[in-house]
Amino acid sequence: MKEILKKLQIKDMNIGACAGQEDWYEDPTAEEVVSYNPATGEPIARVLQATEKTYGQVLNTTVESFKSWRMMPAPKRGLVVRDLGLALRELKEPLGDLVTLEMGKIKAEGHGEVQEMIDICDFAVGLSRQLYGLTMHSERPAHRMYEQWHPLGAIGVITAFNFPVAVWSWNAAIAAVCGDTVVWKPSSDTPLTAVAVQHIANKVMADHGLKGIFNISIGRGSIVGERMINDSRLPLISFTGSTRMGRRVSEAVARRFGSTILELGGNNAIIVAEDADMDMAVRTILFGAVGTAGQRCTTTRRIIMHKSIAKELTDKIVKAYQQVAIGNPLQDGILMGPLVTKGAVEDMMAALEKAEEQGGKVIYGGKRLPDHGEQFVEPTIVKMPAQTEIVHIETFAPILYLLEYEDIEEAIYLHNEVPQGLSSAIFTTNLLTAERYLSHEGSDCGIANVNIGTSGAEIGGAFGGEKETGGGRESGSDSWKGYMRRQTNTINWSKELPLAQGIKFGD
Amino acid sequence: MGTQVTPDTQIEDLVKEYPLAVGFLTRQGIRCIRCGEPLWCTLGELLEEEGVEDLQQFIIELNSFLTKED
Repeated sequence: MKEILKKLQIKDMNIGACAGQEDWYEDPTAEEVVSYNPATGEPIARVLQATEKTYGQVLNTTVESFKSWRMMPAPKRGLVVRDLGLALRELKEPLGDLVTLEMGKIKAEGHGEVQEMIDICDFAVGLSRQLYGLTMHSERPAHRMYEQWHPLGAIGVITAFNFPVAVWSWNAAIAAVCGDTVVWKPSSDTPLTAVAVQHIANKVMADHGLKGIFNISIGRGSIVGERMINDSRLPLISFTGSTRMGRRVSEAVARRFGSTILELGGNNAIIVAEDADMDMAVRTILFGAVGTAGQRCTTTRRIIMHKSIAKELTDKIVKAYQQVAIGNPLQDGILMGPLVTKGAVEDMMAALEKAEEQGGKVIYGGKRLPDHGEQFVEPTIVKMPAQTEIVHIETFAPILYLLEYEDIEEAIYLHNEVPQGLSSAIFTTNLLTAERYLSHEGSDCGIANVNIGTSGAEIGGAFGGEKETGGGRESGSDSWKGYMRRQTNTINWSKELPLAQGIKFGD
Repeated sequence: MGTQVTPDTQIEDLVKEYPLAVGFLTRQGIRCIRCGEPLWCTLGELLEEEGVEDLQQFIIELNSFLTKED
């Protein structure tokens, strides 16, 4: 562990407010947060959290740096992000290990998360030469009309524990090439990965003679989070977290006419049709429901399966669950690590009680695993008689609810009947069923897949969802537009002054 | 002396100091961690939002539960 921390410049005590290599801000009144290894319960290191004062110092630098950063040509900004990607390549292994150490996801997923950071940097470098605006034909003679995209400002990024570094990069890499500067509040459960990323970003910024482009303000939601969402110097807040908190963020930012990118709760289902390739479906369900110990926004939480194949599919899923190796996520061969906190374990156990009260039957798992550690649980399968209240709720744990359907209309009804709308999938070999599922009467989610699962999105697509998932889009496609402001320009190159709509005024 | 959770206790502190409180609240239909993250508010604000009428009594029962489980 010490070797990992050393490579990433993590000390016993770290500072949680920073805007560059020489700009670490300390406040003697700052509270400490201890980061624990969820697999062992042992402390890893400590962070001095940002206070009102140090948050202010970070933001001042972030806002000030925007003035020069926005004037650097976008392709040149892309070169800075290119170097960030290169630096991440060099430190992929220790940073991936730290993700595993601090958050509890298995090593392959920790490393995969850093790969996602590298991928989005590559994407952003290309994007830096493609921030295109449209040109339109003016209705007035000798006029030219077009639109251009300008940098937005200093922006706030608030992320959750489950993807402690990748979600920052989805936002920060894109925002940076768009000409924005970024202040980041990571989860208080994963402050060390944020400090490590800040060290990496500091070096890249310093190599280019920069500071204040990538910044951190690690602190409590009730202090730093509230300050950020109410701070009118941050025209955009990108928030990843729960629907309940997303509503709070949305209201506060809207009150000051800022904008938000919200990536909130999911309650992702896979429909398994009677003609599905069963083996593919089972492998996908296992990864989707058990991966990251059920703590992804895109975790598969519901299986809606055709009655005719329900028994066979259930038996196969149970058999697959029996093979899942649970233990220390840093060890090779382990497929599921711990939950992030003791509170998450309590939440899962209480949710299972509710499911049973509502007629659910636990057909696999359902127990704590104290021999592994306090935060380990069994991945759990619950057969539900109907889509009851508890199934409508996103419990952030490895609970998979099984539901049955008779016809595709019923399957789509059940699928869309929950308030969330993030990710979704269908397994079918019938082209008509697949196309119907992807049509406007099919899945109502932001992400809809055929014959692949709900989790494991690529960075090239826009990531986000509908309904209570918040409607925001991050990462690929044209999500970059959310990080810029659109300006429509009309230029008159004649000696006349014609008005639009043919209006004559005082001629 | 028993556990002293009050209406002013921040949910961030409650979850960290008294993880068993999470299960107690979930069983009452009140969710204080979502997406694995604690809400940014006090216990009192959450209970009020959830329509708990007798806030004091609720807190007494929560403290009693936590003391018993301690």
